[in-house]
Amino acid sequence: MAESKHEEDEKANQAYAALGIGIICIIIGVPLWWKTTEVYRVQLPYNDISDLSQIPLVYLTDIEVISLDKKLDSNLVQISQQLQEDLSRKRGEEVTPIYRVTVRESVGDEQSIFNKYDNKDLSNIDKLLSELSPLQRNKYLIFLIPSNNGKLNVFIGKYYNSFVSSNGKLDKIIPLISKTVQMTIVKEQSVVKSIFNAKGARSLKPDKESMRSVRYNTGYDLTFTLTVPQPDIFDVSWNIREAVDTYLKPLVDHLKEFTQLKINSQIHYFTTLQRKPQKDEKLNEYYFLEQDLPHLINPIESTLGTSASNNPELNFIVYIPTRDQSPLYIKDKNGVKVPTNSFLSPRWGGVMIFNVPEFNESTPLPFPVKVEGKNIMEVFLTQIRLLLNLNSPTSSHEVWFDPVEVNGISNMEIDVWLRNRCFENLATSINTLQSLAQLLGQISNIVIKDDIGSQVEAAVREIKSSLKYLSTGNLVDAFHSSKRAIIASEKAFFDPSLLELLYFPEDQKFAIYIPLFLPISIPLITAMMHAIKWFKGTKKPKTD
Amino acid sequence: MYYLQEKIGEFFKSGHTNNWAVLVDTSRFWFNYRHVANVLSIYRSVKRLGIPDSHIILMVADDMACNPRNPRPATVFNNVNQHINVYGDDVEVDYRGYEVTVENFIRVLTGRLPPSTPRSKRLLSDERSNILVYMTGHGGDGFLKFQDAEEVSNVELADAFEQMWQKRRYHELFFMVDTCQAQSMFQKFYSPNILAVASSHVGEDSLSHHVDPALGVYVIDRYTFYALEFLEKAKPGSKKTMGKFLKVCPKHQCISTVAVRTDLFNRNPDQVLLTDFFGSVRNVEILSHSVLLPNITSKSSHCR
Repeated sequence: MAESKHEEDEKANQAYAALGIGIICIIIGVPLWWKTTEVYRVQLPYNDISDLSQIPLVYLTDIEVISLDKKLDSNLVQISQQLQEDLSRKRGEEVTPIYRVTVRESVGDEQSIFNKYDNKDLSNIDKLLSELSPLQRNKYLIFLIPSNNGKLNVFIGKYYNSFVSSNGKLDKIIPLISKTVQMTIVKEQSVVKSIFNAKGARSLKPDKESMRSVRYNTGYDLTFTLTVPQPDIFDVSWNIREAVDTYLKPLVDHLKEFTQLKINSQIHYFTTLQRKPQKDEKLNEYYFLEQDLPHLINPIESTLGTSASNNPELNFIVYIPTRDQSPLYIKDKNGVKVPTNSFLSPRWGGVMIFNVPEFNESTPLPFPVKVEGKNIMEVFLTQIRLLLNLNSPTSSHEVWFDPVEVNGISNMEIDVWLRNRCFENLATSINTLQSLAQLLGQISNIVIKDDIGSQVEAAVREIKSSLKYLSTGNLVDAFHSSKRAIIASEKAFFDPSLLELLYFPEDQKFAIYIPLFLPISIPLITAMMHAIKWFKGTKKPKTD
Repeated sequence: MYYLQEKIGEFFKSGHTNNWAVLVDTSRFWFNYRHVANVLSIYRSVKRLGIPDSHIILMVADDMACNPRNPRPATVFNNVNQHINVYGDDVEVDYRGYEVTVENFIRVLTGRLPPSTPRSKRLLSDERSNILVYMTGHGGDGFLKFQDAEEVSNVELADAFEQMWQKRRYHELFFMVDTCQAQSMFQKFYSPNILAVASSHVGEDSLSHHVDPALGVYVIDRYTFYALEFLEKAKPGSKKTMGKFLKVCPKHQCISTVAVRTDLFNRNPDQVLLTDFFGSVRNVEILSHSVLLPNITSKSSHCR
């Protein structure tokens, strides 16, 4: 009797113990396993990210019209109203420009500058006017000056001044002003394009400008290479430092606040183009046709070397043809020699062929050759401007530009560039964040750590503040915010920590868990089953 | 007034401005000589057709050219008659030996590399890049083995391509894989603008071409052997199309059935040039006019 009592106690103990361990496993073990195998993800502001594309894109620009034409003085209010009306017409684009127009009579200082030059030397007037008051970005002064010959035309200065020569007819002047503002000064279309390219550049119809120019980056590495295949024949020298300091430095300095252009130079000997040019027997000249050009770059490129930085590289090559292939020209589709003797490869750089002047057979070798900084910089400056998407203005009979010359870039162009890059950055950054949010929904094994979460939040914050700055006309701050936004969002997307977990298909997970859990779970489950059976047994009254 | 009207011609003929290639051999050891020969065959071709080394990411898991068992050091041949030395004299391997891992491969594709990674080991492609991805090794249904230790699954690869697409890291992508049951590698793809070809259907083995008795191992795989034969006939300005390339190695040559996937690809492969993926025909633009600069008198010193 006592023995069976003892047995009963033992069984009860066993049952309680099995159940206890089972319950501990379920209460502590399962959540612990769940927690520790979970993909770590900080909560991201998903709603904010999806709302970013709903924020209207608006930018404000100040336009000040100053009349120097006495005949117009009585019509200033009318000009103001009509111009404002013209400029605020709906455009149906996803980005809306807003203009704040003021119209006023000229003040004494301005009048006297004009009188001094008698409206003739607009370049100089432009310069003197710019000294009157500190330059203000995103604010454009348009001077209405009496026309000398009764014709309407526009002169765009280097600073923020434009000059519209008026013939007194309001119905002609006002449309001209609004057209100039929209198409030449602000370049509304280029803003629309920048956004479009940053957003949906996958349309199979490529757009030339977007394909050619490099995307915004905080810095670019520019390398100038002088390629001399026959240093034994040509003793080539170039003063690249001076050329860069004279012709390129102004551009670099102007952009310094926004992007760093780092400049290197090198000289390569014994590197050839490796493609034979065609020979013009009559003129004893050699030439490459347009279809030959794509194949010229690769053999040179492999020897250019790589830079240590991760900035995009732009290469500019001056090639001195070999003696047996001189003079060497580039011919276009129509078989006409290209005056600059150079070509450009989009997002890569440019090549210029520099022909050595003819020399006598009896001249002692090596023949000294000097590469003029001016000649190469004319070409390379043009190419750099194209590659950086500083859309070159085109003069027409109606609109004239003051040439930028050694300045490299005019203030107005910087504004256009800033505005375009700002929108490009914003569109890219918004896209990146939205892609990231979408990928997190699609792919379960992406890890988001705390610092990535804060990068995403920073990007969202900067995007919002940049848009706010744009709508109040603060271009520089808007640009800097957009720059921070793109840096933060790129960092968030490309951070190595996102890839800490590799993908495992479900069946492989079983393969990992079974050997781990099976040895523990089989005795546990059987013991629990026995325990449950025992409990059921004790509850039933004994019948025997 | 110094800018003359620039004539806008159709300078850019195709939708891409640059080409990239990611070429991966996933297996090591001497008996896998053929996989190294495979990857070097494609490397040789893309380089010959114009993709510069800076735009090629070459991952080779073992060094066959300098293997002590190689009777002809510093060479890797594509056949027993030693027609083509695919090793060439200028090979730039970006990831080698134990660096060839699933993690590194996925990191290269998605761009999630540590900041210290040099340029040459990065895939710096953009939304205007056409990318060729070639993989070879030992595979099975839904995976490709890396280094006998791990494997990349087709889901993982599809997800990596989707991340590339989302971040605009390619314009069009051509995926080429030579392994057993290779078709399974592209079955899970779901991102647009991908054209894929595989050496064998699911359930089939991909076979090697022939043995070189001097090496004692198989020299090359059938599919890549015939692909190389086709590519060797192409010149840098070639007008051959991808449509033709996809028909390379019919069943009587390959024994396995070459599988193709075109549903994600927007264009008709018959109208896509081979060089859109295997070469690099750069777009160029002739510069007809330049800015005019004043001649600022220079000092007499000239650096050399």
